[in-house]
Amino acid sequence: MTPTRRALLLAAGTVPFLRVPARAQASAGVLRFGLSAFPPNLQPWVSTGASAGTVKMLIHRRLISYDEKGELRGELATSWAHGDDGVWTFRLNPAAKFQNGEPVTAEDVKWNIEQIAGERSTAYMRTQLQAISRIETPDAHTVRLITREPVAPLPHWFAGYNMGIIWRKSEANNPIGAGPFRVTAQERGSSMELTAVPNHWQAGLPKVKGIKLTVYADENLRAAALQSGDVDMIEYVPWQSMDAVEADPRLSLDAVEGPFMDVVFNGARGPFTDARVRRAVAHAIKREDIVKAAFFGRGKALEGIPIIEGSPYYDAELAKGWAYDPARAKALLAEAGVPNGFQTTLLATAQYGMHKDTAEVVQQHLAAIGIQCELRLPDWSTRVSLGTRGQYEIAIHGTAAENNDPDGLSAFFDTSLSPSHGRSYMVQAPRTVEALAKGRAEFDPARRIEAYKEFQRAALEEVPMVCLAWRSQGYGFDQKVKGFVNLPGALTTSSGAMLEQTYFG
Amino acid sequence: MWWLLRRIGVSLVLAWIVATIVFMTLHMVPGDPAEILLSTGGVAPDPAAVAELRERLGLEQPLMTQYGQFLLGLTRGDLGTSLVDEYPVLDEIALRLPRTLELIFAGTILAVIVAIPAGTWAALHRGGVFDRIASGTAAFLLAVPVFVVGTVLVLVFAQMLRIMPAGGYVPFAQNPGQHMTLLAMPAVAIAKGLAAVVFRMTRASVLDALSRDYVRTARAKGISPTRVLVRHVVRNALTPVLTVLGLHMGTLLGGTVLVEYVFNWPGMSTPLLRAVEARDYPMVVGIVLTISGLFLLINLIMDLLYAALDPRIRTA
Repeated sequence: MTPTRRALLLAAGTVPFLRVPARAQASAGVLRFGLSAFPPNLQPWVSTGASAGTVKMLIHRRLISYDEKGELRGELATSWAHGDDGVWTFRLNPAAKFQNGEPVTAEDVKWNIEQIAGERSTAYMRTQLQAISRIETPDAHTVRLITREPVAPLPHWFAGYNMGIIWRKSEANNPIGAGPFRVTAQERGSSMELTAVPNHWQAGLPKVKGIKLTVYADENLRAAALQSGDVDMIEYVPWQSMDAVEADPRLSLDAVEGPFMDVVFNGARGPFTDARVRRAVAHAIKREDIVKAAFFGRGKALEGIPIIEGSPYYDAELAKGWAYDPARAKALLAEAGVPNGFQTTLLATAQYGMHKDTAEVVQQHLAAIGIQCELRLPDWSTRVSLGTRGQYEIAIHGTAAENNDPDGLSAFFDTSLSPSHGRSYMVQAPRTVEALAKGRAEFDPARRIEAYKEFQRAALEEVPMVCLAWRSQGYGFDQKVKGFVNLPGALTTSSGAMLEQTYFG
Repeated sequence: MWWLLRRIGVSLVLAWIVATIVFMTLHMVPGDPAEILLSTGGVAPDPAAVAELRERLGLEQPLMTQYGQFLLGLTRGDLGTSLVDEYPVLDEIALRLPRTLELIFAGTILAVIVAIPAGTWAALHRGGVFDRIASGTAAFLLAVPVFVVGTVLVLVFAQMLRIMPAGGYVPFAQNPGQHMTLLAMPAVAIAKGLAAVVFRMTRASVLDALSRDYVRTARAKGISPTRVLVRHVVRNALTPVLTVLGLHMGTLLGGTVLVEYVFNWPGMSTPLLRAVEARDYPMVVGIVLTISGLFLLINLIMDLLYAALDPRIRTA
């Protein structure tokens, strides 16, 4: 057949009818969710990222979780309290049942803690839980935790997504949890199907029949899948698509500022062993440029310690402790004996755009005060290796605290902990470390606030790391998706738990 | 017969060399699989936990011991399991290789259907309007990167017109119609570069054939122009085109990474990329070995075909 105008018109006319079969089929009551990455594995206590965390929070139960406002809310536990001696007592919900019908008992909780803190454990909370010296189970629904030293933020430890409680007689490769969903199908690397557990012990949960998780690793495709209706909801809305999602009348965007970017230092050798040089870096960088360049304006300058506004530990003045002030930065360099700056290297990774973009802005602003950085941009794995081994001068890092309690910042600011790519290498910050320890052991709210104000003052001076910018983290969803809340601040990475109360309205 | 055995022997030695090089380079590149896994999301893992995981994954053994175990497994046809989730490497390849091959074949068929007639037509009407437009388009298609084409396709058909899903995959058995719909855009993206190459090759080759003596003779004999074109010109012109096509199909095996990524097509490239990022040694070695094995196999078949066609090669 020769192509005629009529044939072309006919062909064009059929195009709209292709639409129906082409759409991804929505099945009733099943939420279609676009993930950014496939969970590497679902071992309950091993940290393998937020995507795995989302699934783990839905198939397991923790002792405690967080409510919509980010406040602690009982999950397996109905109450928790500490005595004057610092001993924590948890009361378990007698109705709580594992997915195999077995009740959740104090013995199960004890066994979980022992496994996590065990000698051969690879669990994320291993070190923390090793601070528990004794576990008492006076009855089937009471657990008493005796710690070596008083630990005020202990409830937060049990609310992290790597703290799912599993049945103590589970087989090693088949952990049985107490959550409202169960993994019923999966294709490694691509998709996963969660199905509601019938007669789940928490009345009214979950509110959907199932969740179909599909991985869209490419952020633009993930946004496109939401906009074209292939999925009902996505995580990590790319910053460049946030405007479009907000403008679309069928869609909603729920974004919070929680994760942040920072600079870490090598304090073992070289110019950055001097706190004054590190402070010069802190004052030399114009944060707004990072927010613009790396996050399309979807973020906020962070000129102090990453404590969110509205938190009792927030202090408006301390929050500007590292305000942009190139003259001050120059003066600090002069004080440190390097008035004309020096040559150095800046480590980041080319694998993640936000790391690379941040590095480029930092490089520019440091050049302005005389610190000439050569960029090193290997892949992420190499970046992690170099960081842990202290094979760098300064490096860009991006992360989120574990929760909104300031103790959650210890992992980054306590430089006395063993080396990690996520905190500065062998930087001396004794007052910061001491203030963190004091806050951790303090139960009195007023004195605790004072301890963390002191922590902020010490960190601003000793500069165990330099914070740069909050970055916005957003969930995008169809208007008919109700009940989901992006948790505030650092807890945004735990928002996946909210999917259990999400429904179609 | 002796020649054949020697040729297969050479292929096996080559496969062993590839496996060794991949295994060794990968272990020498910085990056620790245990540390990376436990650092997902930028968290700072406990070094004791990292050490324990290294121990469990057998990464603390001397490199030569690990290499020995790998070779031993290979002789039994066992490629090991993923360091990330203990998933068998062979299962992953068995699941995903057919999808990558499907994408490549679909792209190739599309390219051939479009490019060979177009190339022939352009050659027959050299310098005409069609020739100019088609040649220009071919140059343009060669120049535009595949991820740009992919992104534009998604933007236009999924986001603006909303007649296509933004990407993904449905097994053929589950829903044939949707399977083909989802295959369409990535196949077009793959076909675009290949079509340009095949078009140019066909055009040049047909032009060359048209000026041959046997074509003039055929015409002089009074054979109808269509018959001359089909039986004498195109048939002879296609040999070099097929050679180029074969070569390019091999390259596509490793070159579908971007297309699979942009369209979320769950082929073999994405796991390869993820495995490299995660330093998942067994998975990377297994997939690279499979790809190079296919290359070697294609080469072996080509050699055997040439030998069948041309006895001189057998004695050489």
